[in-house]
Amino acid sequence: MTIIYLEKYKKEVIEKFGDKINRTEENNNEIHFILRNINDIPLICDYVCNSLGTRLTTIICTDERKIRNGFVIRYVFGKENREDVFIFVTALVNQDKLSFPSIALQIPAAFLYEREIKDMFGLIPVGNPDTRPLALHNWPENTFPLRKEFDLNTKETRQEKQYSFLKVEGEGICEIPVGPIHAGIIEPGHFRFSILGENIINLETRLGYTHKGIEKLAESMKLEDALLLSERIAGDESVANSTAYCQAIEKIARTKIPKRAENIRTIFGELERLYNHIGTLAGISTDAGFPFGAARLNILKERLMQLNESSSGSRLLFGVNRIGGVRCDISDENRKVIINTLDRVSHDFEKVIAFLKAKSSLMDRLKDTGKIQRKIAQELGVVGVIARSSGIDIDTRRDHPYASYFSHNHRTPQQLAEEQIEMEKRSGDVLARFELRVKEVRNSMTIIEESLNLASDGMFTNPPELIMPYGSALGYSESHRGQTIHWIMMGENNSIFRYKIRTASFCNWPMIEHAILNDIVPDFPLVNKSLDLSYTGNDL
Amino acid sequence: MTNKTKGIMGNSSETIRDLDNSFIADNYRGGIVLNTGAADDQIELAESACPTKALTSAKGDYKDLQVDHGKCIMCGYCSEIAPKLIKMKNKPDNPTQTKSRLIEQLVPQVQSSESYEQIGIALKNKIHKMFGRSLAIRQIDAGSCNGCEIEITALNNPIYDIERFGIHFVASPRHADVLLVTGPASRNMEIALKRAFEATPNPKIVIAVGACACSGGIFGDTYATTGGIDKIVPVDVYIPGCPPRPQSLISGLFLAIDKK
Repeated sequence: MTIIYLEKYKKEVIEKFGDKINRTEENNNEIHFILRNINDIPLICDYVCNSLGTRLTTIICTDERKIRNGFVIRYVFGKENREDVFIFVTALVNQDKLSFPSIALQIPAAFLYEREIKDMFGLIPVGNPDTRPLALHNWPENTFPLRKEFDLNTKETRQEKQYSFLKVEGEGICEIPVGPIHAGIIEPGHFRFSILGENIINLETRLGYTHKGIEKLAESMKLEDALLLSERIAGDESVANSTAYCQAIEKIARTKIPKRAENIRTIFGELERLYNHIGTLAGISTDAGFPFGAARLNILKERLMQLNESSSGSRLLFGVNRIGGVRCDISDENRKVIINTLDRVSHDFEKVIAFLKAKSSLMDRLKDTGKIQRKIAQELGVVGVIARSSGIDIDTRRDHPYASYFSHNHRTPQQLAEEQIEMEKRSGDVLARFELRVKEVRNSMTIIEESLNLASDGMFTNPPELIMPYGSALGYSESHRGQTIHWIMMGENNSIFRYKIRTASFCNWPMIEHAILNDIVPDFPLVNKSLDLSYTGNDL
Repeated sequence: MTNKTKGIMGNSSETIRDLDNSFIADNYRGGIVLNTGAADDQIELAESACPTKALTSAKGDYKDLQVDHGKCIMCGYCSEIAPKLIKMKNKPDNPTQTKSRLIEQLVPQVQSSESYEQIGIALKNKIHKMFGRSLAIRQIDAGSCNGCEIEITALNNPIYDIERFGIHFVASPRHADVLLVTGPASRNMEIALKRAFEATPNPKIVIAVGACACSGGIFGDTYATTGGIDKIVPVDVYIPGCPPRPQSLISGLFLAIDKK
């Protein structure tokens, strides 16, 4: 099916912009349009995004001065309606010019990517109103970590610089700066609230405190070691990230993984979703001032983490994947343990949820708090639970099936219609996200049960000794936070030339500034927890 | 249906109280053990398989092969490629007071066989003797992957319930006795970490949690990281592991109190 859609979009774009496109390439479910002139980017991206009904998936910049005399920027757009197509718009930035036209005004979701490119490569997005640094704090001018000549181990001296926050002024308005170190057991980030009385009238986030240089580091690593690195992009998304990484390499190497490995990836992916969703539900309960519910849910989370340990050897599911398949098998004994534990957890989970839903004080607190408007969510390119809870019908497991999700996507027309109606009803507040997580927990349990009928065709296929240099591919998965996108370009001798990571949190962070507006300051922890954003997944 | 299932909404206790309940799976990757008398030809293989250079041997000889448990991220690559030489064990590595003691040379470490519960009770007595009150911990993330945070959060769940030993987490370094620091110390957190350390009243204890905090772990020492918490603030106890399980965290706390 994908091929038909690829042809369709290829024809449509070429009919309209034939003279502006140098050539096209096809690669799995990706179609690449390589432009003649960089100034046509806004025009064509606008058409692909707004007329072909795609969403901006990521923007990838690579330093290809050695191969092509310039930097290459790839705008990736994904069709999120079961068509399983990714459209790449590619253009070359001349190395003498070092600037490219911004598309942030047509496609607001692009603004963060453009800031990132400016930080890491030193290319100026002309027309982007916000060009403040993102992950590099107090960084000296004219050194750009992702350029090839930059050495990984350079220790730049810090420079005193002031980061300019948006000033809100007026009578009775004051600022509350929070962070980078927060009050709970949580990652670092800075929040600047402007408040009038108790009401938040503006929030600005400044992240990047956990920037560890993962993308640059991967370029110096062996493929197997970079796999371990991908697991540690965010400890709680280890399966999602490593699955996306492995997929990308497998696609470049044209390796087909065994059915059993696909099943096992699905099972561990869902186990990861389970313990994290239950953890988030517990967090919502704590932050709404109801620790009893949190305590009960945390018991279930711990049981699931112990299940993780007994089935994979790691409480956070590290070491599940390998390139070409999986490292860790599910034996018959493990199968029984998984079935029994899920049975118990599911039984208790329903009891706790029924209890929580009967507490009107809790439900009242969740309702209408942290409301997200669908239009803003759509424009900012929000993904995952947050998108679905505000009525945007996207799910990578369904739209771009990977692992064994093909077999879990069957719906009767009636089910489809029901899902559609339910989707329309979702209001985008904390309660909607709470309810959606409960639903996804149930759904994950069903998927695991269905996947436990493992095929017996082995755990992995060995990829070829030498993977094609400068081959590239997209790997993707749906973590519990949303769509995870990894793009890899191989270098010579099985090295990594460029590893672009975009986790769901990168897309979802800007949303918090809108979700919190007009709520009061004490609502912030609750809204933040319900959005379940990862700092490290954003900062890399 | 077991009693436990019935009790999820009631008042029955889920907290671990005895040895049988301190769960640890057989296949848990807690660390590596060197197998004495193994063939020398696997040493090079194991060394090159290690992503964090935790295994080193200066002369390529078995006798000077050493493991830096502070660097080991328990990936198991070495035991896969050199199964005769190295095995994974399901007991976590012990926390230590100096970085050099994380390095194991030929002589195997004595593994503590005490359960979470036993260490916890001993710790409680110790804290009571020293402070006459409870112990306040401030957790600081200096660029971790959030894995260590998940395990630290788990200490507060009803299963491990660390508060019953008189230990609680506080919201400000000014209220803290102990700083529990995770992450390879990203350079963007350098100043914040220093300030938090200065804000903590004396006597203070700093505990580096996890392989990243001990040595930089897989993130190493790059343009964006500093390669360990001890490059920025003085560290009293190192807890190895990726991430350390709750049992290791509590033995690390015990060791820290013991030292003072």
